[in-house]
Amino acid sequence: MKEPGKKTVFILSILAVLLAVLPAFGLEGYRLRLLALVFMGIALAGCWNLMSGYTGYIDFGPVTYFGAGAYTTALFMIRLDLPFVLSLIFSGIICAFLALWIGLAALRIRGAYFAIATFAAAEALKQIVLEGDRVAGIEFFGGSHGLTLPVPPPSEFFYYFLLGFMVLVTGTSLYLERSKFGYGLRAIRGSEQAAELSGVPTLSLKIKAYILSSSLIGCIGGLEAYWLTYIIPDDVFNVMRTIQMVIMTLLGGMGTVWGPLIGASFLTLVAEFLGTKFVYDYLTLLGIVIIIVILLLPRGIMSLVKFKRGGAR
Amino acid sequence: MNYLECRQVTKRFGALEALRSFSLEMEKGEILGLIGPNGSGKTTLFNVIVGIYSPEEGEIFFQGRSISKLPPHKICHRGIAKASQMTQSFLEITVLENLIIPALYGRDLSLKNARMEAESILRFIGLHDLQDVPVSEISLGKRRQLEVGRVLATGAELLLLDEVMAGLNPHELEEALRLLQRIRQEGKTMILVEHVMQAMMQFSERIIVLNHGEKIAEGKPEEVAQNPEVIQAYLGRPYA
Repeated sequence: MKEPGKKTVFILSILAVLLAVLPAFGLEGYRLRLLALVFMGIALAGCWNLMSGYTGYIDFGPVTYFGAGAYTTALFMIRLDLPFVLSLIFSGIICAFLALWIGLAALRIRGAYFAIATFAAAEALKQIVLEGDRVAGIEFFGGSHGLTLPVPPPSEFFYYFLLGFMVLVTGTSLYLERSKFGYGLRAIRGSEQAAELSGVPTLSLKIKAYILSSSLIGCIGGLEAYWLTYIIPDDVFNVMRTIQMVIMTLLGGMGTVWGPLIGASFLTLVAEFLGTKFVYDYLTLLGIVIIIVILLLPRGIMSLVKFKRGGAR
Repeated sequence: MNYLECRQVTKRFGALEALRSFSLEMEKGEILGLIGPNGSGKTTLFNVIVGIYSPEEGEIFFQGRSISKLPPHKICHRGIAKASQMTQSFLEITVLENLIIPALYGRDLSLKNARMEAESILRFIGLHDLQDVPVSEISLGKRRQLEVGRVLATGAELLLLDEVMAGLNPHELEEALRLLQRIRQEGKTMILVEHVMQAMMQFSERIIVLNHGEKIAEGKPEEVAQNPEVIQAYLGRPYA
């Protein structure tokens, strides 16, 4: 557990400013969209890391909030004609309440049971969205046909929004490294009983971290819905999105600020490279790359960087 | 008003009664020894007092207020903390950080003050040279000392020390006894569970003997040591 020095904050700030001015220097089209996808990966993996990386509770259902956020944004924009930003804020709020409700039940169990419970919550919500209309005899979620959103602005809009979310999530992670809240979460990861006996209100901290992570994931889901303009339950509630967040964080290093940044950049760019060079076999090759990295660096790519004792482990 | 009071506390695990109508009264500043054969309910009593288990019957009062229904972190905030034989350290973080956490949350300090408090406790328990070493790399004896440090860092006034000297080598035992002596001088109230009789006889002002979850004797250390029922509980009927 290493407190990030001013150096880390400085490097990350410079990086954020550089990325913000890149479009003014001619970044556009495919490369701009690819970078925006990297930002989204970092933000999503970062959100997962805020909860699972710091508390050690492996959440296998973050896609619950990605899907819920996507649908909330779409429904507010379509059914109530609300502007995008307002709909996005509502997505965050609704996902926070959903996380409170699910978290109060699921965060009382641990380990594999917590993972199964969160996974089940995601699947349950997907089924509600998929079959809700048919069962209730109404036209609301759009069932398997999905929903179509208004025409979105150009990709630069999403580039900046996703950059903003990436900075927000990474900033939150930096805050956790040096705050009382962060110490409490890492105490839970170390030993929940020892944390309780040391005065840490474990359930309330876990719920706060879960709500924080989930509402941010919900907002990113809403952003993607507007970007894609067309959403279906099988896509926005797809378990592959959960697995992606988990793999990205594991590749980079769990419970660290740099882990999601490195893991998500690595996975998105390698997948893109392999996808363009080996159109038919790229998933197999990607799987091999992931296996090699995890076998060689079980603590993630971050473990290549030497830290002083007690550093980011 | 008693400082700590257990009123007719019963704790069951299925058919097993780990504690049976156990009552206890303690004054502030007192050092109480708790002995009994393995499985007699000593650790269960500690776990009931700190809120890891809630009692099926009876009630526990601390400074006049009931604590039986409170979760462990709230009982810690009230001023009771337990150090156990199975050390409760956070292995992946450093020795200093292990004390920053209880200082932050047990005493509700700011990060800066918690760090200062943790450093001062490290000096008190004699581990300040190891402050940046991860706990996974220090010896069992040092971990036990750190465990006592963790309890002190919470700011607790009532310390429950559960076999913190078990398995120590003679040198470590000597250090642990010195530490206990220093804590006594601070005026803390303590309940000790220990198989090291030297410590029990030296520190306890009163001893309670548990057997099968029931109190079978209570009194000054030398009285308890002569009690036939106690001898029988430990050694069997022919020796009593």
